[in-house]
Amino acid sequence: MTTVDNINVGVGLSTEKDIGRAVKEVMQQARATINKESIDLALVFSSTEYANPLTTKIISNLVGSAPVIGCSGAAIISNKGIFRNALGLMLLSLPKSVFLNTANIQNIHTKTALTSGEELGEKLLHGFKGLRRDFGLFFTDGLIEEESNLILGLQEKLGTSFPIIGASASDNLEFVKTYTYFNQDVTNDSACGIIWGGKLQFGWGIKHGWKPLGKPRLITKSKANVVYEIDGLPAAKVYEDYFSRDIAGLRKELKRISIFYPIGIYLKDEEEYLLRNIHMVENSGALIFQGNVPEGSQIRLMIGTKESCLAATKQACDQTKNWLGGKNSSFAIIFDSISRYMLLGRQAIKEIEIINKEFNNIPILGLYTYGEQAPLKATNYQGRAHMHNQTITILGIEG
Amino acid sequence: MLTLIISILFIVSVCVLLIMLTTRNDKIKDLQKNVGNLKQSLDEMDEQAKLIIRTDIELNKAQEELDKKINGLYALQRLSRAVSTTLEESQIFKMIDSSNIGELGFEKTVSFLWSERDRRFILAFNIGYSQDEEELIQASIDLNKDFYLNLIHQKKTVSSNTMPDDPIKDKIKNIFKVMTFVVSPILPKEGRVGFIFLGTENPDMAPSEGDEELVTILANQIGQALENAKLFENTWKAQQELEKKVEERTQELKQALNEVRIVSKRKSDFISAVSHELRTPLTSIKGYASILLAGKLGELPEEVKLRLSKVNKHSDELVNLVNDLLDISRIESGRVTMHLTPQDLPSILTEIADLFSIQSKEKGFDLSFKIEDTAHSVIADAGQLKRVFINLIGNASKFVPQGEGKISIAGYKVGKFIQLDITDNGCGIPEEAREKIFEEFYRVENAINDQVKGTGLGLALVKHIIEAHGGRIWVTSKLGVGSTFSFTLPEER
Repeated sequence: MTTVDNINVGVGLSTEKDIGRAVKEVMQQARATINKESIDLALVFSSTEYANPLTTKIISNLVGSAPVIGCSGAAIISNKGIFRNALGLMLLSLPKSVFLNTANIQNIHTKTALTSGEELGEKLLHGFKGLRRDFGLFFTDGLIEEESNLILGLQEKLGTSFPIIGASASDNLEFVKTYTYFNQDVTNDSACGIIWGGKLQFGWGIKHGWKPLGKPRLITKSKANVVYEIDGLPAAKVYEDYFSRDIAGLRKELKRISIFYPIGIYLKDEEEYLLRNIHMVENSGALIFQGNVPEGSQIRLMIGTKESCLAATKQACDQTKNWLGGKNSSFAIIFDSISRYMLLGRQAIKEIEIINKEFNNIPILGLYTYGEQAPLKATNYQGRAHMHNQTITILGIEG
Repeated sequence: MLTLIISILFIVSVCVLLIMLTTRNDKIKDLQKNVGNLKQSLDEMDEQAKLIIRTDIELNKAQEELDKKINGLYALQRLSRAVSTTLEESQIFKMIDSSNIGELGFEKTVSFLWSERDRRFILAFNIGYSQDEEELIQASIDLNKDFYLNLIHQKKTVSSNTMPDDPIKDKIKNIFKVMTFVVSPILPKEGRVGFIFLGTENPDMAPSEGDEELVTILANQIGQALENAKLFENTWKAQQELEKKVEERTQELKQALNEVRIVSKRKSDFISAVSHELRTPLTSIKGYASILLAGKLGELPEEVKLRLSKVNKHSDELVNLVNDLLDISRIESGRVTMHLTPQDLPSILTEIADLFSIQSKEKGFDLSFKIEDTAHSVIADAGQLKRVFINLIGNASKFVPQGEGKISIAGYKVGKFIQLDITDNGCGIPEEAREKIFEEFYRVENAINDQVKGTGLGLALVKHIIEAHGGRIWVTSKLGVGSTFSFTLPEER
């Protein structure tokens, strides 16, 4: 049982194949570690086998009027480890001094990502009038285009400096269909979020550990997440040179190249480069990235090692703890990039060991993502949230 | 003059400017040279970066392959453990789950087992296929069963990597909806043969030689498990059969035992009734014979007296026979209560020796006994114990040689019992008769028995008495050397 001040947390995780039995198991585990009858929020992270309305329907029925929110992931993280095929549930019982409001949007493809973000922001604000807003927690379909614009849309409504922490849902590395969960709905082409406010403290840490390699280059032509030219040449040429492969060869190994060798956008005063994974290589030589790459950006090719990756995990823990001024979190939510899982391989579990150690085994629940959202740290970015790739993002909440 | 000064100053300025310009140009040239060097360094660094990246990507691939193998081995270990601990054929395939198959690098798997009766492969399990797909696969396997039978016959694992590019390979890819696959035969020594198919839609996951080996090991494990299941089933069936037979036989024996008990009771009742009926007239006969012999009804001629003595003697024999029968019947039916009290064996045997003193002198045999100090006291009914000794010594005395007979009694402790051995140097008992002599009315066929009268009830009565004491009796014998009758009685504690 975890009771720090007034937030009560219970976490459950099941690898049971049958959805009904899995939900029963996670609910029993979570209920066993929470000492409150009333539930205010149910966070659900699961691998895609559980991305079924039956899962959310049963959970919704079992938590009464509490909102159910979450998304799918390539693997689920808990204090016990990493589980490729699992259902994870975090139940929260909050003190009266803490407020939250949840909302979702669907069918993003029918609008622009920007307007979808605005719509979601508006829905969230609607239930939060006159109350102090502290931060937002978001989940988006990990395969929607122009995800960065969705965040921009949100910021239009919530404020550019409003802290946003989020995850892009993932599937089992097939990049076919990812899901968000909102109450009884399990949908793709959607996003959902929570605004938190009241008497609670939160802190976050975000690090990737990738290092620049090769000479700096300039984005000479781009629009949103499509980069047409680097140093005045077709963007793919850089990768062709580095990997000694033609476009067809790059496409063949795109998953590996994208994950292990992203590009890093130089950000003045930031400790690390902002990473971008390649999503697609066009025949024209244009590269489509998961997040926006502004024209005029100075970029480098990035390389990661297991050691630098694990060191970044420790740094992300330290950042979170620093935000909380040395106070230990009541619980933590982890968004870990699938790229790290692939790079670390069998050592991926070490990240969880580091988190458990650094946070004294507080309840954690997390997932592997196709992208993470968090504010930049340097003051000249005014706390504006950006979409990141390859990071481990830790959200610690105390209250 | 002024003009000259101005001109000189102008020339000097120009010279200074020229010197400055030359110096600046040199600096620019130096800077340009440095920029060039820097650019060259950057380009060289970039070339090095390319080498690093190309090496790194190969290392990552090797690492991935290694991780995949290790994960595969762990998954195989888990699967093998689960499969090998299952003894039910229907449960074996349920142990194979998608997460373990995923760890092996595949997402789809099916297994088929050959049915000799139907002459076709029957689906044993499926992961990753819908029912419609299952039916299509079944139809394809029915059409191409020779290909799979051949794999089984050749005990050969094949994969999309090792198979030649022929129509069957494409057919497998199309029907099973995979890009790469491995098929391995399942070959139990007992039970049905078959094959396991593992495949993936991911074209990047081309199965390596190591993957084929892992799948072959998995197929062997399944084969072994099927074999164990079959053997277990056979053993189970045999055991069930055996248990059924044992049960039937037990019932038969119970029934037979009941019948025997009924017959035995009827026999006892009959003997008891008959004995009582016989004893009354016998008593009368004996009484009248005694009256006549005593001359109470007048003096009788000697010949009549002789006949009457015989009547008297035979009546006594008949009374003894009837009494023995009655005793056996009573002991068998539990109607005789043994008065079990501590008995001193040397005292009883001294009494018995006195009883036989005349007889031993007449026949010329030596009767001796030796009871060890620790074997003096037994728990027994005194009267019945004497009867046992009288019977056994009396029997022995009939068979020992005239004038050279030896009968010895030894007593000693064996565990919680006192064992008594009565040894004679008589003619001995044939082996085939040694068990039967304790049965009622059995008499060994020999010359002496032909001459000596006996009822054939003595030893049966002795056996009943000993068993009623909780002891047992047996005989060891050697023809022409003698016999030893041994029995046990509980010691006094």
